[in-house]
Amino acid sequence: MSRALDRTGIWIGWAFFADLANALALTFGYMFSRPVTMQYPDKEKWLPYSRYRGHHFLTRDEEGEIKCVACELCARICPCDCIEVIPYEDEKGNRHPAKFEIDMARCLFCGLCEDACPADAIALGQQYEFSSFSSRDLVIGRDDLLGKPGKAMTGGGVVAARLNTEQDVLVETSEPQGYNWWRNIRRT
Amino acid sequence: MELVVALGLIVFKVALLIAILLLLPLPLTWLERKIAGHIQQRMGPMRVGWHGLLQPVADGVKLLTKEDHIPAEADRFLFKLAPILALAPPFVVFVAVPFGESVSVLGTEITLYVSNMNVALLFVFAVIGIEVYGVIFGGWAANSKYAVLGSLRTCAQMISYEIPMGFAVIGVVMLAQSMSLLEIVRAQANVWNIVYQPVGFFVFFVAGLAQAQRIPFDLAEAEGDLGAGFHTEYSGIRFAFFMVSEYAIMLLTSVLAVILFFGGWNGVLVPLPPLLWFLLKVAFFVYVFIWFRFTFPRYRYDQLMAIGWKVLLPLSMANIIITGVAFL
Repeated sequence: MSRALDRTGIWIGWAFFADLANALALTFGYMFSRPVTMQYPDKEKWLPYSRYRGHHFLTRDEEGEIKCVACELCARICPCDCIEVIPYEDEKGNRHPAKFEIDMARCLFCGLCEDACPADAIALGQQYEFSSFSSRDLVIGRDDLLGKPGKAMTGGGVVAARLNTEQDVLVETSEPQGYNWWRNIRRT
Repeated sequence: MELVVALGLIVFKVALLIAILLLLPLPLTWLERKIAGHIQQRMGPMRVGWHGLLQPVADGVKLLTKEDHIPAEADRFLFKLAPILALAPPFVVFVAVPFGESVSVLGTEITLYVSNMNVALLFVFAVIGIEVYGVIFGGWAANSKYAVLGSLRTCAQMISYEIPMGFAVIGVVMLAQSMSLLEIVRAQANVWNIVYQPVGFFVFFVAGLAQAQRIPFDLAEAEGDLGAGFHTEYSGIRFAFFMVSEYAIMLLTSVLAVILFFGGWNGVLVPLPPLLWFLLKVAFFVYVFIWFRFTFPRYRYDQLMAIGWKVLLPLSMANIIITGVAFL
């Protein structure tokens, strides 16, 4: 009996386009839900999590000396052979890299160099905006790597940003923490 | 002197109408993209002007400066004729469409319509039928298989949907005892036709969707399977002509739906100026068109034909018979 009633109900609904009305109600509801767009690069920018693997950076110890001992383990473990290290020995007999180059065009950001490093000298940081017109410019040397930003402290948010195209194309931001982008995701 | 004033008034009205119809696609495309964006949880155009308000202007400039390309194998005369054939009828039709009774400016009564034809409805359907030639010629002249397929589909679609559309409005004509759009609106002063003619409205609206070639009946341009259908080979200003024509027809269908079934400029409950009531209702229908577009998928070709001949035609026939029995 109830099944028959259900069936009649379905047929009546079908005759009056209940399914189409449902669809319209759904899209109407979506129209007033918050858009998930992140307005990059004009207005907003994504701050990566601290675990994010972006551009590499080299670190210094307390005395300001480069931590790297030029053991070349990173160059060995690198699956795409993009690290080139040439060591030298200073007056005190410590090994340091005379040349430390990473070819960002080849790097696949696996983070194995970070895992392999015995001196915690190299790691993958938070920077992700380094596209270039020439692949030659993507070979980054030792001194540039020392100046790169480190791991993000906070992150996982969207911050207000501004697109600066005066010299280079740069997305500038001053805010350390933004709103959680995931709050906009509609889950029903 | 009086004749000069009357003539000047008509020329002024026609010029105003043309200007409005030519400029209206600008806000409409913006609105369509915005609504599309928000339905899909995007933002739509945001970069040119405040919330992308100037985006249609930028697009217009882009279309105007683009190369006006004619394919080598195309029939050049028909190819050039088609956009004009598609553009002119929707503009001509608005001559017969009233937007209100009259307003008094500086002591003189100015009617809000260019002409009050006693066969306005017939005129509208007759002239709008010509628009199809633009689409068919455009597809044929381009000498491209996608364009020809698109225009063939349009041809079949128009023939199947103009008949139920014509039948659907006969109920309205019977109620108003007139084919003048002005009289039809006046007849709805107390009760709108939608109360007496829900089936008629349903048939009219579905056929109107097909007429305006909007989703779910946009088989003529079906982006997914035909490239862009009949205007695949068009570019630049000629393409813009087709787009303007499409928006004008969408507007015309909304205006006709309001005039024929929703009481024209007669308001309910809230006492607003009649013209404002009219524009609000039209805006609602335009919104519904856009809303439908981003909700429904496209019907298959055979389904389209089946709906036209097996559902809409019998429904409109039954509507005429029932109206005749009940009211005459």
